Amino acid sequence: MSHEKLTLEEREALRQQTLVKHYTANILTHWFNVAMWLFLLPTGLGILLGKIYPFVPEAWNNLMNQIFGGLAPLIHWHSIFGQVWFFVLIFNVLFGFRKYFIPFAAQRMFMDRDDWKWLMIRPFQMFGFKKNQELPPQDAYNGGQKLYSYLVVVGTVGIGVTGLILTYSEAIPTSLQWIIQWAMPLHFLAVGTTFAGVIIHVYMGAIMPEERQAFFSMFTGKVNGLYAYLHHRKWYERKMAEKAAWEDFYNRQLEAVGVETPAEGGLEAPPAPEPAGGD
Amino acid sequence: MAEKKRYAFVIDPARCIDCRACLVACRAEWNTPAGQTRIWVHSDGPQGVFPNLSQTFIPAQCHHCEDPWCVDACPTGATFKREDGLVLIDEEACIGCGLCVNACPYQARFRNTVTGKADKCSACFHRVEAGEMPACVATCIGGARLFGDLNDPESTVSRAIAGRAVYRPITNEVNTQPMTLYLSSPAAAAVQVSPQPREPVPAETFWHTVALPVVKAAVALAFGGQALAFIFQLFKGENEYEEA
Amino acid sequence: MTEEITREKWLLSRRQFLKGAALAGTGAALAKAGIFDLTPARAQGTTHFLPGPTADYQVYTMCEMCVWRCGVVAKVRNGVVEKLDGNPNHPHSLGNLCARGQSGLMMTYDPDRVLAPLMRVGERGSGRFRQATWDEALDFTAEQMLRIKDTYGPQAMVFSSTHNLSQPLFENLLNAYGSPNYGTQRSLCFNAMVTAHLLTYGIQEPARRYDGMKYIILTGRNLMEGISTSETRQLMEVISEGAHVVVLDPRFTKTAAKAGEWLPIKPGMDLAFHLALINVIVSENLYDRNFVNNYTVGFDELAESVKPYTPRWAAELTEIPEATIYRIAHEFAAAAPFAFAHPNWRTSNFVNSFQTERAVAVLNALIGICPEQGDCIFPEEDHVGLGSPPQPAYPRISAQRLDGVPWKYPLVPLKLGVFQEIRDNILTGQPYQARGWFFSRQNPIMSLPDQAKTIQAFEKLEFIVSVDIILNDSSWYADVILPEATYLERYDPVHAVGNRVFIRQPVVEPLGEARSALWIYRELGRRLGLQDFFQYVDEEDYIRQQIAPFGVTLEHLKQVGYFDVPREKKSGERIWDTPSGKVEIASETLRRAGFPAVPVWEAPPEPPAGRFYLLTGKVGQHTQFATQNNAYLTEVDYHTHDLWMHPLAAAERGIRDGDLVRVASDVGEVEITVWVTEGIRPDCVYMAPGFGHTSKGLKKAYGRGANASRVHVTYTDPVSGGQALTQTFVTVEKA
Repeated sequence: MSHEKLTLEEREALRQQTLVKHYTANILTHWFNVAMWLFLLPTGLGILLGKIYPFVPEAWNNLMNQIFGGLAPLIHWHSIFGQVWFFVLIFNVLFGFRKYFIPFAAQRMFMDRDDWKWLMIRPFQMFGFKKNQELPPQDAYNGGQKLYSYLVVVGTVGIGVTGLILTYSEAIPTSLQWIIQWAMPLHFLAVGTTFAGVIIHVYMGAIMPEERQAFFSMFTGKVNGLYAYLHHRKWYERKMAEKAAWEDFYNRQLEAVGVETPAEGGLEAPPAPEPAGGD
Repeated sequence: MAEKKRYAFVIDPARCIDCRACLVACRAEWNTPAGQTRIWVHSDGPQGVFPNLSQTFIPAQCHHCEDPWCVDACPTGATFKREDGLVLIDEEACIGCGLCVNACPYQARFRNTVTGKADKCSACFHRVEAGEMPACVATCIGGARLFGDLNDPESTVSRAIAGRAVYRPITNEVNTQPMTLYLSSPAAAAVQVSPQPREPVPAETFWHTVALPVVKAAVALAFGGQALAFIFQLFKGENEYEEA
Repeated sequence: MTEEITREKWLLSRRQFLKGAALAGTGAALAKAGIFDLTPARAQGTTHFLPGPTADYQVYTMCEMCVWRCGVVAKVRNGVVEKLDGNPNHPHSLGNLCARGQSGLMMTYDPDRVLAPLMRVGERGSGRFRQATWDEALDFTAEQMLRIKDTYGPQAMVFSSTHNLSQPLFENLLNAYGSPNYGTQRSLCFNAMVTAHLLTYGIQEPARRYDGMKYIILTGRNLMEGISTSETRQLMEVISEGAHVVVLDPRFTKTAAKAGEWLPIKPGMDLAFHLALINVIVSENLYDRNFVNNYTVGFDELAESVKPYTPRWAAELTEIPEATIYRIAHEFAAAAPFAFAHPNWRTSNFVNSFQTERAVAVLNALIGICPEQGDCIFPEEDHVGLGSPPQPAYPRISAQRLDGVPWKYPLVPLKLGVFQEIRDNILTGQPYQARGWFFSRQNPIMSLPDQAKTIQAFEKLEFIVSVDIILNDSSWYADVILPEATYLERYDPVHAVGNRVFIRQPVVEPLGEARSALWIYRELGRRLGLQDFFQYVDEEDYIRQQIAPFGVTLEHLKQVGYFDVPREKKSGERIWDTPSGKVEIASETLRRAGFPAVPVWEAPPEPPAGRFYLLTGKVGQHTQFATQNNAYLTEVDYHTHDLWMHPLAAAERGIRDGDLVRVASDVGEVEITVWVTEGIRPDCVYMAPGFGHTSKGLKKAYGRGANASRVHVTYTDPVSGGQALTQTFVTVEKA
């Protein structure tokens, strides 16, 4: 990392800065998602039975059955929660489309050269390789996070659609039975691969000390300047530029109405409307 | 609890008169949709040349196998085998995917066109639990269909097979240990007594060859990788000033 | 029409209920969950929400899908009949029901049911009716019947009905009205058997005992398809215990498939077969000397007359090898007294059927059907003296009967009559013209031979009224249709089987405006001024009067379904109810009427070249002409409504399996698909009765299969009045 270039004072000054990374809506959506996964994953595993899934211990099936009073209610609750989960997400996307989803997509769905370069280096560094290679500067989300968001978007849609098919399978005529038959492995595949991503996501977000800021930002919505500077330089710089532009604009507005420009360290300009990613 | 039960059907084709009362009884008991039946009476028609003719009637239904392939195929566990031997379907847990229908080498199952669920003979478990015989057995005029507990030496089935050769409807290829014991060889062209193994559906193949390995590999890789990274991190230690 | 309740609807609500229960159950399961048991819950069978049909309550009643009247336990849920089971306490069901019995609830829930009185508005036969109130329909019916009575006399009104429990009330109506003209199914069915056994034993319908039987000869009694639940079961039971059953039938029936020996006898020749058996048994002294000497009359005359009927003679006629006939005679005699020749309902349905039945009756007497005194294969019938409402004497009837009894058919019992003759005499107008026809639960257009004639007869009438459940083919031509409740919805008079009295009671409320026959006849009787013949307040009151002699309450009967009447132990020698008091091998009654006193050979007609015998016979899934609209039965009656034809006969005419062919007789023709099978004689074809309905009010049955009565020619046996249903010869060619 390129912190060598910073003096201790600079680091402290950066640390004092606060940047808004997540809106409350995004934070709530994230934790809603987490809660639903915490419900749906164990119940889903409890439904799986038969020779296809020898890796799920039968005791787990039985535990889930006992909690829910049988297999049928277990399946019912799983599909009810699944539908709540999926429809809330769809609702959020539809009603927050302009305000939240477009920025989310803009920030998270486009990979540039730096992202690919980052991907070629960072994973190796985690295991002590490529120590001396310089990481390219990253935007609000790094290449890994962007890849993960692909996975999450595709996985969520896949899980949701196949889940709905399985929930309303009795309405599907027998001649289209193959739809149900394909929905099952695809549901499983979508959950499994997304879950593999979740494992990495959880480790990187919650366990790796370097990403502690990111972890707390999922509660507060904010990160400090140093973290932003070190991990998301492009974003930091853009934000600073935006801030400066906003301050400039604001000051000129004040001048226009004849208000004196406040002295240094005085009244701060209100934060700029900031496009932020949701997670 | 009393001694474990081991329910079985015993069928004496010699006593079947092809009156089809059982078919209607089953239809009425379970209100299966028109054209879908849980049980059968098979006949290959008169055999031989006039006037030397013979004709046999072979009643059949789900054999409640001891090694039920349908149970193995069911992805949710909606199809299950009870300790008493009955293979049943929890209709509320069934998603109607039809894998069990495809898996049964006897084609004893079907997808109910009204409920959209898997359907098959349930040995009228609710009647059995109330001390009655399954509807088809109770109404069988010829006494060809019998049902009961093989572990009870006094049951009708135990007495019927005592000292007699019994035939299970199996082949060299398929032996699911069916719990229907025929008192004469149920030789008939019908698949319900001449089992045919069936190819898995494409989705099932995909499941086994792609979905499962991919998920297993992805989860294992992700978890293993993160565990390694964590170990590496432990060795590296943390620097509080490094923290952003 | 049955919008308010259908089984499907009910099932739907049950499903929704269960879904709700599944979710509601979770809370309870969580609440009681403290320690989780990790052993497989499902393997213990404790899965909570596995749906299975459950009943709210059950009702004991009697089946009416055929005339055997099995005991039924009807299970009901949410006011809908859910399932019928055989009543183990009933000697006719022994806990079983046949396919028809099992399907009984679909008669109640038949979407084609008539649920309100109908009055014709279009041309007769157009099927255009309007709904009417009971008052309107009954007033109109009474008005018409009174008009006919006043204008032409009561004999101008023809009544007809088929075996059912309310028949005594129907007969009460016609007798009180004063008509001598009453048509029943009997002459189309068992006239020959009943007449022969009355003349031989003084028994109308000999009961059959199966336990311990070792040898049984069935001539036209296809018990595995013409199912009488308990009897079919008993036959199967003795077969599996090793009894030898000989089946005489030109067709390989299911009974033949179960029998030890199937003899594809030439139609109409079963008389020769039985005469030959008698010949061997008499000439070789194989008969039961004790029984013959002590309990019969006329043996010597028989011994003389059967001399020409040797097995060699019979072999030529029957096309059964001489040695086989000889062997069977010996085996049959050797198995005595554990052997009998079944009296059947009908035999081969030829004009010689009466002689055949006489030969059967005599054959049984020869081997001694009473192994012990009072313990006969044809046991004496119990007589339960049921009570009945008081009523005045019937009016005196002086008019001749249109069915020719006794002026044309002196020996036909008055009760049996000759139904087909009534129809013919409506057409001829001799000896007088009938003007009206009242039929109850009967379908003469389908059941009488020569359908075209029956329709012509209907068209000649001024007024036709019918009591029915669905719009059957005959009701289609009626002016008024009075909708009866089905047997699951109504009371009927109680019925005794042996010494046990059973009740038929409503399992559910009648759908629509349907009413019991007891109600309909009383209401109509009242309007005809015959209220004194129907002295009961309602159905329950009628039954109370019936069971009054036995000190049993109706409530008890309803709850248990039956009660037993103590048996009178009869002592002394059995007296046969014949003029001589003995079994009459030679009948003086017959002799006096100008018929041979002992069974004699009477050659049946044979088809001219190029024609086939047209056989008829039962299928196990239908009863006569009444059940073909039943949704459950139409699903399981596969392979029953095709024309059976032997491969050789088919090949000769270039007919292949599944082809449509034209079957034609002298009176009509039908088109039907062919089933080419080895299971029939090459000189015969077979059609099951009951298909080819013409009423568009029967949506399932309409146009399905073909109707044999269109081609049946009317031939009446001069002795018994029975219709010779197989004496129709047809051509078959590709349509």
